[in-house]
Amino acid sequence: MDLNIDKVIDDIKKDNNIFSAGKVIKVNEYNIEVSGLIDVAFYDEVDIAGKAKGYVFAIHPNKVIVSLTEIEDKIMPGDLVYSLNKEYKCLFSTDSIGKVVDIFGNDLIAGKKFNNLIEVSIDGLDIPLMDRTSVERSLLTGISGIDLMYPIGRGQRQLIIGDKKTGKTQICLDTIVNQKDKNVICIYVAIGKTKKEVKEIYYDLTKNGAISYTIVMASFNDELPTKSYLTPYVALSVAEELMLQSFDVLVIVDDLKKHADIYRQISLTSNKVPGRDAYPSDIFYAHARMLEKGCQHKSGGSVTILPIVETKAGDITDYISTNIISITDGQIVLSKKNFDKGQKPAINYGLSVSRLGAAVQSKELSKIGSKLRRELLAYLDVKDIYELSDPSELSPALKESIDRGNKMINDLKQYKYSPKSESEMQTLFSYVERVEKEG
Amino acid sequence: MEVGKIISIFEISVEVVVSDNTIKIGDVLEAVDNSKYRFEVIEITNTTALCISLNSTRGLKKGTIVKKVDDGLKMEYSDALMGRIFDAYGEVLDNKEFKSINKKFINNNTVSMKDLNVESSMLKTGIKVIDFFAPMQKGFKMGLLGGAGVGKTVLIKELIYNLYNASKINSIFVGIGERSREGKELYDDIVSSNLLDNMTMVFGQMSKNPVVRSKCVQTGLVAAEYLRDEKKGDVLLFIDNIYRYIQARSEISMELKEMLVGNGYPSSTAAEVSKIEERLGSTKDGTITSFQAIYIPADDYNDDAVQNVVSYMDGQIVLDRHIAELGIYPAIDVFKSTSRLVDKDKIGERHFKLVEETLRYLTRYQELEEIIAVLGIDELSDEDKNIFHRSRKLRYYFSQPLHVSEQFTNIKGEYVELDDVLNDVENILNGTYDNVDEKEFFYIGKYNAH
Repeated sequence: MDLNIDKVIDDIKKDNNIFSAGKVIKVNEYNIEVSGLIDVAFYDEVDIAGKAKGYVFAIHPNKVIVSLTEIEDKIMPGDLVYSLNKEYKCLFSTDSIGKVVDIFGNDLIAGKKFNNLIEVSIDGLDIPLMDRTSVERSLLTGISGIDLMYPIGRGQRQLIIGDKKTGKTQICLDTIVNQKDKNVICIYVAIGKTKKEVKEIYYDLTKNGAISYTIVMASFNDELPTKSYLTPYVALSVAEELMLQSFDVLVIVDDLKKHADIYRQISLTSNKVPGRDAYPSDIFYAHARMLEKGCQHKSGGSVTILPIVETKAGDITDYISTNIISITDGQIVLSKKNFDKGQKPAINYGLSVSRLGAAVQSKELSKIGSKLRRELLAYLDVKDIYELSDPSELSPALKESIDRGNKMINDLKQYKYSPKSESEMQTLFSYVERVEKEG
Repeated sequence: MEVGKIISIFEISVEVVVSDNTIKIGDVLEAVDNSKYRFEVIEITNTTALCISLNSTRGLKKGTIVKKVDDGLKMEYSDALMGRIFDAYGEVLDNKEFKSINKKFINNNTVSMKDLNVESSMLKTGIKVIDFFAPMQKGFKMGLLGGAGVGKTVLIKELIYNLYNASKINSIFVGIGERSREGKELYDDIVSSNLLDNMTMVFGQMSKNPVVRSKCVQTGLVAAEYLRDEKKGDVLLFIDNIYRYIQARSEISMELKEMLVGNGYPSSTAAEVSKIEERLGSTKDGTITSFQAIYIPADDYNDDAVQNVVSYMDGQIVLDRHIAELGIYPAIDVFKSTSRLVDKDKIGERHFKLVEETLRYLTRYQELEEIIAVLGIDELSDEDKNIFHRSRKLRYYFSQPLHVSEQFTNIKGEYVELDDVLNDVENILNGTYDNVDEKEFFYIGKYNAH
């Protein structure tokens, strides 16, 4: 790639290819306007006087708008801009496993660039309908509330949604840790997080022996919004590439609400017409095409995605949340109330859904899980009605079912990084099936 | 024939300087050196044509020469469309050989008042809540409304199972802006049960650009019109999901920098919707019965786009998140679900009275729930206690084991006759089943008294 740039610079010096060069006429935080750049294609990579890089965002009759992705030095009006006449791509190294990386091929913990970099296209073509096969192999989280009632399969997109501090990221980290020795490559994508948060996650994964099969791909909140915007697309392109080589990949996207806000910021500064809540009208498409990379492929590989969305005051019906719920194959809803009561993981069992259900579960788990869910929900419904009643006046059958409900809630509690195996779950909840038979 | 040169590109919006004044709105243009870049003309001046790109514009160069390739987008209009799966531009997706016999433009006229036929016979779906609260007849448009993840697609799939699989009436499935996984699974299900022969599917899923998503509904309509007008028969049309069509239109409007009104919809939404819905009429040749899933964004039932589509429906089933939260599926809000047929003259006095009485009970039940939250159940009068317990039974009774959700419930799906539903509801209301535990009504077909 470096060769290519040299050649282009050389050409420009010799005035060989002057149409691919232009001049900066306007600069703002992460967009520039360029005049004179004629030989250019949509989404081409552009270099600005060696000071910055970006891609062609819009072509107008007399100017070109460039979105900047990397800025090393201050750009001035009049700076020379040249198109590399090739699609804008990001960089990735096969040595990234076990590291914290960014989309430009930097090893962030070591603070240097990787040596063996390959180009990754961002958000390329979608996966053809006919290349997808059904999702039916399980991906266990080790959390009984999820594996029994809202199971996740390889190739599934399962949303994790809840307020701040309800353990959303923790559920994802638990899931990564539970993939040890299960031949799954994990990618944790941090969008606009603080460096401290990411470093802590890196340490946590290392401590729990999970970093050896995990890539942490990060963008931070003090970086260019374009970089944060692109990061999940690059991560999913990498995941897709691995899937085509028959690997199973798990991608955590933390989080999409932040991503939506960053995209809104970029859209508004580039004069897109705002829609609902001032998000651009294509916000649904922006997330849909990202999450549709999750699938079971006919090659045998799969991409499982666990996107995270942060809500306010437990409202999962706001615009961005419902958009993403309508894309994913189910959602795990976390409730602040449950969390505060010490019921962890703080899953709201009524609002959580898995659209694949028993298709991705072992027969044993599915049998217990479907009964457990039905009984648990009936209990949660009845509990409120009889909360004020005198326990001694309840019928014995009712009293027993309330006691059983309490026991279920207790048995579903689980501390972080303490995954349960399938057989442990079966043993723990075997009573669900037993008693219903007798009754 | 070369007609011009590209001067501006922004996502899907492309402007061409034209050297030929025969260009019309709707024409299809193509890059001379690369057939993957195709455009539809949507606005013309003396010197320029504004186009929307049919595919991604990535890598498209400024200055590219374009030629005209057709007068509009087309879809197969012959028997060759039966049993096949198409994309929005009428290309087959199933990787099998395809020989086109006759094609037709996808922008077609609506049915005239002269040809429109409104008389028809009843249509049973075998789903308790639909047949009871929102009974249907052939030629109806039934809207299935719901927010994200409350079970619209499951209900559509069950309707395909109950109606198409049982009768093999010619059917069209149009997947707009929905999950690719679900689309492929539906296709696989139909292939594996050997039912593809009378089904045509058109897909523009959510991973596709807005132009694809907005075109595929018209492409599907051409297929439905062929079956009605040429095959002269009844047609079932399943659209999942029509809201995504409006959404895709909004995205295109935004890219074209048009002014958007409330919540980001273009001001032309009503006109766009009418162009689709008015094509779905029944004529003397045949009926088109359509089931249209309607997504409710942000659980906002009063959303402009939603209300726009709903105004064309003959009936509606509204799915509710609070019912889903209780684990009762299909999670139907009985207060908002109804149809034009709920009328004493049309469904008979008995059915009509039962619907009224059921709604009266359930309304009182909602009030009682609030009272109980404060005072406890023991404080209710005997009559209210009856209403309370019977309403809970009714609520549970209207859950139903569906064929297509056997994998979630581990219970075998059931088709339920309307007569059985009427009997059961009557018995619950008049107290015959007062001694039966409410859980006995949960996820059953008809109730079998012991």
